[in-house]
Amino acid sequence: MNNLFLAATASSPEVDFRFDEHQLSLKGESYPENAASFWGDIIKALREYLNENNCVASISAHVALSYFNSSSTKMLFALFGALNEKAKAGTPVILNWYHDEDDDTIFEFGQELREDFPALTFHDCAIKS
Amino acid sequence: MESKSIDGQLHDFCHCSGTGEVIFFYAGYFSQNIIATVADAVKMRIEHVGAEGLTRRKLFSSFIEMAQNIIHYSADSYEKPGQTDHAVRHGSVCITAKDERYYLHCANPVLLEVADRLREKLGHLRTLTIDEIKREYKEMLRAETPDDSKGAGLGLLTMARDASEPLEFQFAPAGNGNSMFYLRATI
Repeated sequence: MNNLFLAATASSPEVDFRFDEHQLSLKGESYPENAASFWGDIIKALREYLNENNCVASISAHVALSYFNSSSTKMLFALFGALNEKAKAGTPVILNWYHDEDDDTIFEFGQELREDFPALTFHDCAIKS
Repeated sequence: MESKSIDGQLHDFCHCSGTGEVIFFYAGYFSQNIIATVADAVKMRIEHVGAEGLTRRKLFSSFIEMAQNIIHYSADSYEKPGQTDHAVRHGSVCITAKDERYYLHCANPVLLEVADRLREKLGHLRTLTIDEIKREYKEMLRAETPDDSKGAGLGLLTMARDASEPLEFQFAPAGNGNSMFYLRATI
């Protein structure tokens, strides 16, 4: 299937899902007008990719979101839930969670993900500001 | 008698006694585009007044939640002929600073049913400790999204979690049988 690339806008992040390389990247801020619709389409494409039965050594996700509004938060939870299912089914999924070293909100959300989705190989990546 | 100088008038406006200094104020129509642009202005302004990183993040987050609640729930909408997909709603947001604290105020008209639901949710939030708020936030994150919620029901919890005091709110009768909703968050 085709890779998914969405350029960042003022209120939505850059989405760079290179399905052919098994590298998924999210970067920027997320407060679109309709988070359910924005993230819904992305999760749909992701599920399509995850349902393909290709034997892949591992999938890597690089997530560097500096802000997400409340409705995006819920959708992101669903997105990582989908990745967790894939990991549970046997494909290692590595989640690199980037945040400012002093950003507790993003750090804590990462910890929620780690707690709820133990099948993911979680790496907390604090960046010095 | 000489009327007050224009700089004096502006100074008075920005330094209303009791409210502290107004560091940001916008009243008018809110659309996603307007929010995105105003968000930039808010970011720069709160950086300029020297707020700490953590405070800046919380201010920005609460501002976005308030502004998007205005778009999603305000009863006063403006519809351009032919434009049906992007909501444009009326409201106001104000950020004031006093004694090392920041206050975010927002106001917008809401339908009576919406006012009732808000009163219930906000009343409930005021009874919770910060730990209980955080726990409820975690539960809500994992729960099914309520039908009436465009924002997953997490918006008010997010603001309550970031505030240093319980969220304050008030309702007043507005025109058309609506209710004017006022919310204040202390950061």
